Amino acid sequence: MRIGLLLVAAALLPGQIPRTAEGKPDLSGVYDIATLTPLLRPDHLGDRLELSDQEAAALAKMEAARMAKTSQASNPNRTAPPKGGDGSEGAAGNVGGYNTVWTDRGTGAFKINGKWRTSIITDPKNGRMPPLTPEARKRAAARVALARPNTGDAWWVKEGLNPGPYDDPELRPLGERCLLGFGSTGGPPMLPVLYNNLKQIVQTPNRIMILNEMVHDVRIIRMNEEHEPPEIRRWLGDSVGRWEGDTLVVDTTNFTDQPALTSATRYLHVVERFTRIDARTLLYQFTVEDPTVWTRPWSGEMIMPATEDRIYEYACHEGNYSFEGILRGARLLEAEAAAKAK
Amino acid sequence: MSKLSKSILALAAALVVCLTLTRKVEAHHAFGAEFDPNRPVLLKGPVVRVEWINPHTWIHLEVTKEDGGKQVWMVEGGTPNSLLRRGLKRDTIKPGQVIIVDGYQAKDRSRRANGRDVTLTDGRKFFMGSSGTGAPYDKPENKDK
Repeated sequence: MRIGLLLVAAALLPGQIPRTAEGKPDLSGVYDIATLTPLLRPDHLGDRLELSDQEAAALAKMEAARMAKTSQASNPNRTAPPKGGDGSEGAAGNVGGYNTVWTDRGTGAFKINGKWRTSIITDPKNGRMPPLTPEARKRAAARVALARPNTGDAWWVKEGLNPGPYDDPELRPLGERCLLGFGSTGGPPMLPVLYNNLKQIVQTPNRIMILNEMVHDVRIIRMNEEHEPPEIRRWLGDSVGRWEGDTLVVDTTNFTDQPALTSATRYLHVVERFTRIDARTLLYQFTVEDPTVWTRPWSGEMIMPATEDRIYEYACHEGNYSFEGILRGARLLEAEAAAKAK
Repeated sequence: MSKLSKSILALAAALVVCLTLTRKVEAHHAFGAEFDPNRPVLLKGPVVRVEWINPHTWIHLEVTKEDGGKQVWMVEGGTPNSLLRRGLKRDTIKPGQVIIVDGYQAKDRSRRANGRDVTLTDGRKFFMGSSGTGAPYDKPENKDK
């Protein structure tokens, strides 16, 4: 792979990009989109799109220091963590996750046109998603209202929730079921997550495939074809592509009720633009619209740098002991709650 | 510290916070759904085997109970991909290597726990210290990343 890339690079004159036999830009390769540039810009930066070299260096240094700190030795005489939970939030749910050495959220910000970026979102100008519609706000509030801290008991039984969140495997999140990666890693839009950020592009004249490392979600982009009829729905949507000059434009619709992108619905429509800017780098741009969720479309951009790393085998279903444990654990807690209520 | 460098650090910190906020809610599955905060565990014993399965590694270790009986526990870790990229291989971890794990037991009361902190007996992080090459970032291509 490395020798191949070097040969391609060596054969190109400055400003030239690799092309297929048909003369189209050759987008094929393996890319790593991990980055310290966040999707959303911190509020107080306002409309500021760029970071100085010093700021970008400070950011990379801070992350390196965080990794070094969390990699330090622990007390070998430590005891078990506190009973009642360790207070961790989010997916770590009061029990913590695992050592930081497993994660890979990138080692630096990314640059476009020679300038470091403060956020992936570029439109609206403040680098934030536009306001939600009133309906979407209601749905988001309902989701928040259903969230409970992990106290290790069957709160849904005590509260008389029917159905309870663990009553049916199909009520569980798609990530937990190994159907899609978490976050919007498979996309579209394809966004960086905590680990497994590699993408492999395989290109033929009439089909372009994108393999996502996480859960091995695969997108097959049909070139110069129409969308499937609206009754056909796919986890990653239905993608059709066309060339606009040297840019691959991919239009995706026909999502299910649960697209990978948080808050989005079956009305999601994503347009992505892939442009090869040099032998090792693609520019990735996207515009998202879902009039049932956001009051206006929003857009972002980032780079996809080539990597020599390989994409390894995935066996999400085969190794998904977690899912059976979650469901079995819920049954046990429910039985305990029922016994207590007697 | 000069005023300039203070503001640079503040900005870098704000970006890290933003990144963390965006990403902390996400995971392949919620550990909070799987593990019981009322059942903390400290496990110590030799590794029996490691299942290198994406997206979650499972480390099996043998624990000796107070009455001398043996129990095999399974500990959930992260994606092997990150370790492979940092120069660790599946045969880096040898059966018999004694490790210490702290975490919480699964809600289904099976002998499973999350590997909240997995270390060697001297406290060094298991996957850092046992590679024989030092830190994960020893891999040459990771040095200037």
